[in-house]
Amino acid sequence: MKKNGLKGSGWLFASPYLFYALVFFLIPLVWSFYLALTDWNLISPVYNFIGLDNFIEAVKHPGVQAAFFVTFKFMAAFVPMVIVSSLTVALVINSLPRFKGLFLIGFFLPYLASGVVSSLIVKGLLSYNSPLNTFLRGTFGLDIDWLNSPLSALLVVAGIIAWKFTGYYALILTAGFASISKEVYEAAAIDGVTPSQQFFRITLPLLYPALFTTLILSIGVSFGIFTEVYQLTGGGPNYATNTWQMEIFKQAFTNLNAGYASAVAIIASIVTFVAILLIRKLLEVWGRRNGWV
Amino acid sequence: MKKKTLALLVTASLGGSILAGCSGGDEAASSDGVTKIEFWAAPNPTQQVYWEEMANKFEEENDHIDIEVSPMKESPTSEASIQTAIAGKSAPTMSENINRGFAAQLAQSQALVPLNEIEGWDELVANRNMEDTIQTWKFSDDNQYVLPIYSNPMLFGWRIDILEEVGVTETPRTYSEVLEAAKKLKEKYPDKYVWAKPDLADPTAWKRWFDFFMLYDAASGGNNFIEGDNFVADDQAGVDVLTFMDDLRAEKGILTKEATDPFESGLGIFTDLGPWTFSYWEEKFPEMKFGETFDLALPPVPDSTDLENVNTFADTKGIVIYASATEEERAAALEFLNWVYENPDHDLEWLETTKLPPARDDLSENESFTTFFEENPELKPYAEAVPYAIPSIDNAKYNELQTHIGSHAVNPVVEGTVAPKEGWEAMKKAIEEELSR
Repeated sequence: MKKNGLKGSGWLFASPYLFYALVFFLIPLVWSFYLALTDWNLISPVYNFIGLDNFIEAVKHPGVQAAFFVTFKFMAAFVPMVIVSSLTVALVINSLPRFKGLFLIGFFLPYLASGVVSSLIVKGLLSYNSPLNTFLRGTFGLDIDWLNSPLSALLVVAGIIAWKFTGYYALILTAGFASISKEVYEAAAIDGVTPSQQFFRITLPLLYPALFTTLILSIGVSFGIFTEVYQLTGGGPNYATNTWQMEIFKQAFTNLNAGYASAVAIIASIVTFVAILLIRKLLEVWGRRNGWV
Repeated sequence: MKKKTLALLVTASLGGSILAGCSGGDEAASSDGVTKIEFWAAPNPTQQVYWEEMANKFEEENDHIDIEVSPMKESPTSEASIQTAIAGKSAPTMSENINRGFAAQLAQSQALVPLNEIEGWDELVANRNMEDTIQTWKFSDDNQYVLPIYSNPMLFGWRIDILEEVGVTETPRTYSEVLEAAKKLKEKYPDKYVWAKPDLADPTAWKRWFDFFMLYDAASGGNNFIEGDNFVADDQAGVDVLTFMDDLRAEKGILTKEATDPFESGLGIFTDLGPWTFSYWEEKFPEMKFGETFDLALPPVPDSTDLENVNTFADTKGIVIYASATEEERAAALEFLNWVYENPDHDLEWLETTKLPPARDDLSENESFTTFFEENPELKPYAEAVPYAIPSIDNAKYNELQTHIGSHAVNPVVEGTVAPKEGWEAMKKAIEEELSR
């Protein structure tokens, strides 16, 4: 009887979340699966059940194919950028004798900045007649078309997002540093290890749990890029920065193809889920092989 | 057991209250003989102020209609907000800020009321003196879904101060004259461009209104591009436009890199200009003076074209009434619109507030507007061009179709990767395939 009572209380306390999950996750999920099987645009009273046509059309569409590859290209550029920069920031802050919190807050601020505003600032900085480009043309004869060339556009977007997330990930890594006992370093110093040996043999393995978290988070970010691309390149040039979110937005709200956009969203979810799962497994194997886990 | 029942009750009541919060709160359309209508104004303060003022004045004289004006949300675009409002059954009675292409999408989805079927429509068109202007707004099913509020015939601005410096004393009107000006410009100023516009390399659909369609409407004499589901464009005019772009590129007269204020800074000497630019210039670029630093002209045309009555693209938006409105609300909405537009002073107030030319046939002749145009001479060319301005295509797939114009024709031609004729044929094929789906 007592056990039943506890069960009741459990349901009671879990009910707000369960209800929230039902209304905002489960029902929309089922609904989007249904929508993906129709040609509905959400506003017309007439629509048809078209089976898997939206999915078949989506996988053939250059925008969707581009979104698939662009995400991994972003990942290849963004993840190393953000991990190296956040690790550097965390290392520098960790070595500071005082005001660590103040500097951490300073680096964290870009995370709170609006993506729209930072994109517009970058757009101004990289414009043809900006001081930077005028200097590059005048001094080195370099005329770079930052946002109209596929590689530089991708790197610019990855750079903005890396700048935004560096402080946030540095915060996680700083917490990781704090958990490493100073005695380990003292013992290593007595044994005469070099600074690079100290970093690779002590810091990195002991930082692995925090590093694992930031890696997984940054990989997740690569699948959800929208604002910067929307503001800076619109997915161009020639789909070179067309992300999943950009493609879904264009189809749902510009072309009014809600059913098709739903199919793209489902494909994007599956790709994201599988990719993160695989990468997570690989990271775990890497950690285990090195004896860090 | 009691605890279980209690838990269920709490869960049910919590769910009920959340669901109640989610409901739209469907208000009665009419109470005490007063019809309440909701009007979404464009998401900018000037237009919102104008419509609030109109609604207040109307309500003073008509106590049987209550108009609630609110700004349209942009999350992230006004079109997306309207779409979600219709899907969520919370669409207003009517809204402004609707272009013809988006109206076609909504009309195809039966989300709009054909305005010509509401009593009082003909009276409205006659009273506002817009019989000719409204003809170009007729949709392919012969209905009128949009009441155009303003019509901006898009004009090209020329930096006449720089043209004079390079020895060009007349604003170029034909393709040859533009290319001649480009040669002279590059001779004296190799770092300047005729047309510095990053949008030329961007396939985003709406960007074609402000480059391709301005030139195409002028070159083709206003020939339609799409009629219903048929591609009916003038092939020769289309190829001429692309050849002009290609020739200008060959003269190094086009810059497609992102640039800050290229026309104002003199990096480019030719650009599309709408009347909304001038209020912005007054604050940010007071040195830009009409007739001194810049002049306005209709789009350049192929050399053999008649230079009289040249057509251009009309950037124009209007008001629609949503199908979710009741008969009573539709009638009230049209009564309000009739009240607004039967008095030219209201259009004058619109013009003074927004600087956007009202969509009426008599804009350049009606005495109500004479003083305004004398005080704002830079807006007069817009008023004069209203009868020659062609609104956007009315196909529900206008986004996909106009993206093809960019990705197959305009973008590769200005980048020099595709020949004009080849680009036109590829675009035509893609558009015809899109229309046949």
